[in-house]
This record gives sequence, structure tokens and C-alpha cells, in this order.
Amino acid sequence: MKALGVSQREVGIGAFLAFGLVVVIPCLNAFTPEASALHVSGFSINLWGQYLCLAIAAIGIDLLWGYTGLLSLGQMLFFALGGYAFGMHLMLMIGKLGQNNSDLPDFMVFLGYNRLPSHWEPFYSFTFAAAAVFLVPGLLALIFGFLAFRSRIRGVYFSILTQALTYAACLLFFRNELTFGGNNGFTDFKTILGAGIWNPATQRGLYMVTAISLVACYVFCRWLTLTRFGKVQRAVRDSENRVLFSGYAAANYKLFTFVAAAMIAGLGGALYVPQVGIINPSYMTPARSLEAVVWVAVGGRGTLIGPIVGAIGVNMLKSWASRAYPAYWPIILGLLFILVVIFMPKGIVGLPEQIRGCLARKRKRMHERREAEALEIAPVDPAKGTAR
Amino acid sequence: MKCFSLCLVILLAMLPAAGRGADAGKNETAARAALEQAILAPEDDQAKAIGGLDEYPTAIMREGLDAWRRGSLYLYTAPDGSRIPYRLDAPGPDGLVGGLRIADGLPLQDAAGTALRFKEKDLEPVDTSAKLRKAIKSALDLLALSDPDPEARKNAILKTGMQQRVASIPLLEARLQKETARSVKNSINEAMALIRLAMPDETAKVAALEELGKMQSLASKSLVQKLAKDETAPPAVRKAAGRTLASIEEHLFWVDFLGTIFRGVSLGSVLLVVALGLAITFGLMGVINMAHGEMMVVGGYATYLVQAVFGSGAALAPFGWSFTLPGFGFAETSVAYQSYFIFALPVAFISAALVGLLLERSVIQFLYRRPLESLLATWGVSLVMQQMFRLVFGPANVPVYSPNWLLGSFVVNDITMNYNRVFVIGFAILIVLGTALLLARTPLGLLIRAVMQNRAMASCLGVRTERVNLLTFAFGSGLAGLAGAFLSQIGNIGPSTGQTYIVDCFMVVVVGGVGNLLGTVISALGIGTIDQILQTLLRNPVIGKVLVLVGIILFLQWRPQGLFATRSRGLES
Repeated sequence: MKALGVSQREVGIGAFLAFGLVVVIPCLNAFTPEASALHVSGFSINLWGQYLCLAIAAIGIDLLWGYTGLLSLGQMLFFALGGYAFGMHLMLMIGKLGQNNSDLPDFMVFLGYNRLPSHWEPFYSFTFAAAAVFLVPGLLALIFGFLAFRSRIRGVYFSILTQALTYAACLLFFRNELTFGGNNGFTDFKTILGAGIWNPATQRGLYMVTAISLVACYVFCRWLTLTRFGKVQRAVRDSENRVLFSGYAAANYKLFTFVAAAMIAGLGGALYVPQVGIINPSYMTPARSLEAVVWVAVGGRGTLIGPIVGAIGVNMLKSWASRAYPAYWPIILGLLFILVVIFMPKGIVGLPEQIRGCLARKRKRMHERREAEALEIAPVDPAKGTAR
Repeated sequence: MKCFSLCLVILLAMLPAAGRGADAGKNETAARAALEQAILAPEDDQAKAIGGLDEYPTAIMREGLDAWRRGSLYLYTAPDGSRIPYRLDAPGPDGLVGGLRIADGLPLQDAAGTALRFKEKDLEPVDTSAKLRKAIKSALDLLALSDPDPEARKNAILKTGMQQRVASIPLLEARLQKETARSVKNSINEAMALIRLAMPDETAKVAALEELGKMQSLASKSLVQKLAKDETAPPAVRKAAGRTLASIEEHLFWVDFLGTIFRGVSLGSVLLVVALGLAITFGLMGVINMAHGEMMVVGGYATYLVQAVFGSGAALAPFGWSFTLPGFGFAETSVAYQSYFIFALPVAFISAALVGLLLERSVIQFLYRRPLESLLATWGVSLVMQQMFRLVFGPANVPVYSPNWLLGSFVVNDITMNYNRVFVIGFAILIVLGTALLLARTPLGLLIRAVMQNRAMASCLGVRTERVNLLTFAFGSGLAGLAGAFLSQIGNIGPSTGQTYIVDCFMVVVVGGVGNLLGTVISALGIGTIDQILQTLLRNPVIGKVLVLVGIILFLQWRPQGLFATRSRGLES
């Protein structure tokens, strides 16, 4: 760690927070009596599990946007693809427990399928599904990224193209012919690895896996940004042309980051689905991806802790506001985004630094004024050209 | 100039529609008089009189003849010996019935002016005979063929043809003598050929088939197809049927193809109108306005409000407000109400431009140097605006009725063209020309181009770039408002309407090449047409749309800067 230039303090704080998330919270859920003030309810565990999944996706966005300067408006597409891949496995695990008492998922029976489409078969295997969670988003990102970066599509155009990709995928997934459940998507999951999916213990386990994944993603990205690779990454963000002139293949760096971010998003989606119990095309709409980008903006991009803070904070605000002010929460959220973008370009995490900078500038001005007064430099009268 | 003549054509096309209403009253009086005359005519002349009744194609004639045939027309002999034919009114509570005079539709009265009431058994029906009933039947058939509206007439004629009753041929021939409209004459010939197709005679069949092939009659396709597949038919007939079918199918292909192109161009025009505002704010100013769709919806709602004010008054549900302007509140059919759309256009432009002004001052002006962040902030704006629409106008789509002169369609060589689609094409041409002139020929346009090319240099030369930004953004937003007003005529206006168009709009601008109006025009029309062609070919709107998006991604491989790139020596653009 030291070789990479990480301070003792950062490792300490990080380890403390990670321990709290991964060990302490689940223990408080499992071993404290319900009446205790320290008890964390099963509902909270489930909710926080969902928040952490979204935070995983947000880390991927930040790796792309904050560190490489690529604003992708399609990260939630990869999130949803990961969710769909794992959802397929969960659908098959329902088995005969579904409403139609058939081996086929309910929606297929409803649509009149007699046998499982062949591309569903391998998803009986948990290992295959788990691999697909990474490979499907990764492959799509590889193909799209290769085409986009090869022709040097950058900046705003990249954003708009990723949005178009998301929109196209979203339209496709709404169709029943795709055999992914049309607009209802997948739901009514029963078991995961043989355990009842809504058991408190299963949910606690899922929460722990999510928390560990989040920590792992954080550590991976933190490590990546500290390596030489990370330096080139940031150089691409700051001036791609100079990177090209220095003989680096910027496109390859971007492609790697794009694929990595997509896989991270896929992981988040796969963990999200069993905890929220549903996946449908509405998770793919361009608006979702934009919202995810806003988490990162609110939390603070260019830092890896920012997206985690942003994803959890905005979603907590959202679930509070949509309950307390159902008619006004989009307005609250929208205004928050506007204000953050205009007045807090570095987000919540950057706020102390911003305030410090502000104060320092003010102090400097005051100081200059005082010095000027001390020297008594009189203003020049332009008409006479001499000091009054 | 082109657009003006187009508008003129549209206006001229509207004229007969306006005149039709005034004629109706006169026709009806004449029809009533003729019917009464036929009823009161001496028995020997009655059949002849009935034969002439098809000259009065009105509802009252149809109903009157039908009642006569069924024996429910009655005669009243007045004390002075004159006879008055009448129809029955609804029976009253006392079991007695009144009569409505055929002559004018008013209640039957005696000399003193009190309404006459009869017992059912005292009624005296108008005489009929088998011969008369037959005459009435054929008059009714001819009436159907002589509807005053040429379209309805054509439909009735083709329907007669499709029934393939040989007995209808004399009727059609009689009609052919009287018919003046050329298109209807063609339909009559087509219908007669269709009927001859059912004749047992082989040569007649072949002749009819040849005629149909020459006419490229779409209506006959199914009948000809049946004949071509009929194993029992004589080989000559089958061969002729095959030839006819090939000719019809070729025609059908062209009709479908050109119809698709027409729909594609009109869809492209919609895209163009919507994307033009974006081409200004995004293409020229570099601001990514995700709330552009909402600007459009502002225009749509403005149109809705203007319509409501011209009609029965606007009501905004959540506040319990409703307001009417003194002097407004026109009837639905009045010319004033029908013209609301003309007034809605400037209102839509101005209201969206004002919202754009506000948006520029409050949000965008801080973000000119940070395009990616303008994307996020304006997305926040779009969230807020959508929810505002929901609160003010309700979550459902608002009904915006098209004025009558935008409804309907005309047919050229079997290709149906809707007036509103023609209108959108003309409207798009007008707006593009206006925008191009504004940019190329006005002082403001000069300033806009200067600021776009080099903001710092323009500023050094004394251009007030802030003000130019403000005006440009307001203009772009106003164009979106116009697009919204237009969309209200062909689609729905609701809180989330803007979201459906925003992705397509950005695509159009990116493919066209940023900062280039010609590119925007070509890409909008191209994307619209290709979208329609794919939809028609694949019969699946979603796959077509997905293919278009994939096509765009591939297209950008070939031309990353879009169709027309702005050339620049700058490294970082």
C-alpha cells in the first residue's frame, strides 16, 4: 500500500468503515433483540443492501466520468443487464413453485411457450449465471466501446450515443419476443442457492455479499487509479490529444475502463435483483442512467468515496421525499440537482475544500485591501494624470 | 415562395368544404318538394316521378322513400279537399299520434293552428304497388350512388361493384350518364368491370380482367386473386387473371412505397421541426438542453390553453381556476374557433421562448464552459418541469382538437395524403427557411454566428455575447414551442411527451453535424424516411427503431463528426 502512496490514515478510516458495513451492521441485525435501540431491522438491512448495490454502480460511473472524463449515460443499462442475467437464474430456480405449476417461468406459460428457449438452458447453473453477470455487460461494452473509441467519439457525443444505446435496448426489452418477460420483466423469485429468498438470514447474507462487493470494487478502483494506468487515465481526461502525442493508445485505456465500469455495474445489478425482488425494462430507461450520474455529481466525482455517499444520500432522500411529499419529490430532486451542479461542482465530498477555498480567497482579498490601505496608494485621477 | 404556394393550395382545398354546409338547407327543401310531388302525382305518372328522385341525394329523401316502401307514409285529406302527405310523430301519452308534414317537416295542423292527433286505426297510408316498390328500390340504390360527397359516392359505387350483382349494371350505367366528376366515372367503370367478372361468359370475363389490369384496380385484387387460383376456371381466364394480378401488384408496390416515403418525409418533418430548436441551442451554442422536450411541451400546453380560451374557457384543475376572456367562447363549429390554431402558433413560440429566457438566466448562463454539467442541470430542470405540468394540467394527456381544415385527406393515384401530414411538411419548410434567413441575413444572425465561431474574439470586438446567448437560447426554445404546437395536432400532449422525442432529436443533430442547419434537415428527413421504410418492411415499429439507432452508431464510425462537419484548425474542438 505504501508503495502506491496511500496514507496510513486513509487505510485506517477505510478499514474502519468497511468493518462497520460488512460486519457490524449484519451483527446488529442478527444478534441484538428487536426491542434494543441498537437493533437493525430486516427491512433496513434490505433497504441498505439496495443502496449499496446502487453505490457499486455509482463507483463504476465515477471511474468512467470522474477519472477518465467519459460521461456514459448508459451505466444503468449494464446494471440492468447484470440484473437480467442473474434474474434468469432466479426465474429458473422458481421451478414448479410458480403459479402455473410448470417448469417454465410463468410469463412463458402465459405467452404460450412449450419448452424453454435454448439460450435459457445454461442459466440453470449458478456459476454460468454468475459469469454472465460480468460477461454480458462486459461484451456489450466491449463492442460498443470499440466502435465508439475507434472513431474517436468523445465528450458530449459519447454521452448522447450511450443514451441512444440505452434507449434502443430499453425499447427491445419491452418486447415479449425477446423472451425476457416484456414490460413485466422477472419477479416472484422464490429461492437462491436453495435458500428461501425472503428469509431474514438470506437477506442478511445478500447484504453482506453486497457490502463485501462494494468494498472490493472500491479497493480495486482505488488501486487502479494509483497505478501508472490510473495516471494515463487521468491524463486522458485532462488532455486526450497530449496523451496521443505522447504515444499512448488512449482508446485502449478508455475501452478497458468502459468495460470495467460495465462489469462493475453488472455486479451491482445482479446483487440488486434478489434484494428488490424484481427486474424490468423500466430500470433501463435513459432517465435511470441520468439519475445515476446525478448521484455521482451530488456525491462528488473524481473521488471514489463521493459516488458512494451520493448514491446512498440521494436514494435516502428519494425514499423519504417520495413518502413525505409524493406530489413534490421530483421537484425537490430536480432542484437539488440544479443547485448541486451550479454551486457545488465538487459535490458533497468536495464541499469542505470548496468552503476552505472560498474562505482563503476572501481572506486573501481582505489582506490585499488592508495592505493597499496601509500603503495609501491614492487612486489616479485620469483627467489630470496625477495623484489627487 | 414554394411554401406560400403550398399554403395557398391547402387553403383552396378547404374552400369547397366551407361551401358545402350552406347548400345543404336548400337541397333539403327541394328534396321535400319533389318527394311530395311524387306522392301526390296521378298513379300512372308516379313510377316516372320516383325515377327522377335520385337527383335529390339528401337524408330526408332516403328516409322518405324508405318509409313509403314500408307503407309508413300517410295522407291527410283536409276539409278543403287538399291532400297532405306526412310521417308519424312519436305517440303521445293518450295513445294518439301526431304527424310531421313531408313538405316542411312541421307538425300537421288544422286551419285554426292546433296540432292534429289521430288514432292508429284511422290512418290512411299512401298507396303502394309492387311496381312502385320496385321503382322506389332502384331509386334508393341510385341515391346511395349519388351522395353529394364524391368520396362517399365512390365508396358506394365500389361497394356495389364488390357485391358483383349483374342486376346493378344498368343502375351504374344510368349513373355514368349523369356523373360529372372524372374520378367517380373511373370508379363506376371499375365497379362495372368488377361485376362483369362474375358473368358466366368467358370473353366478358377476360375483357373485364384486361380492363381491371389497365386500371390497376386495387379494389379488385382479392377477386382477381381468387380467379387466378381457381382450378375450375378456363385457362384463358386464369391467364388473364394472372396478368392482371401482376399489374395490380406492381401498382400496389409503388403505392405502398410512395406512401411510405410520404409518411417518412412527414415524420422526418416532425423530427426536423423538433430538432431545429436543438440544432440551435446544442449545435450553435454547445448547450446540452435535456429540457428541450419540455420546452416543446410548453408549446403544446400553450396551444391547449389557446384552444380552451377560444372554446368554453380554460380550467386548471388543481387550483380550481377557470377563466374565460370576454368576447371569446366561440361555438365549436364557428370560423373563429376553427382558426384558434393560427393564434396558438405565436403564443406557443412566445411562451416557450419566455421559459427559455428564464432558464438561460437562472441556470444555463453559469454552465457555458461546462457542457457535460449543463446536461445534468437541465435534466434537473426537465424533472421539475414535468412535475409542474403534472400538477397544473394533471397527469393525463390533454385533448387538443385539430381544426376541421387539418382533418381529412386527399388521394393522388391511390396514395392517401392526410392534410395534417402535408401541413407539417409545409410548416417545416417554412420554419427552416425562416431560421436560415434569420441566421444568414439579419444582424442578430451575424452576431449569433460570430459568437458561435469564436466567443472570445466576438467579445473583444464589442459583441455583447451574454445578450446574444440569451436571445439565441430563447429563439431555440421558441422553435421547440412551435414544434410542440404542431405536435399537438398529430400526437398527444402530456407531462412526459417531451421524453419520447429527446433521444431522437439529439440523434438528428449529431448525425447532421453539429452547427449545421442543412445537415439537420437532411438527417431529419433521412432518419424519418428510413424509420418508416424499416417499419413497413419489418412490420414491427420497435425493431425498426432499434435498427435505426444501430445504423446511426455505425454511421458515426464512418463520419464521426456527422454529415457536415464544421471545419476547424483547432485541435480541441
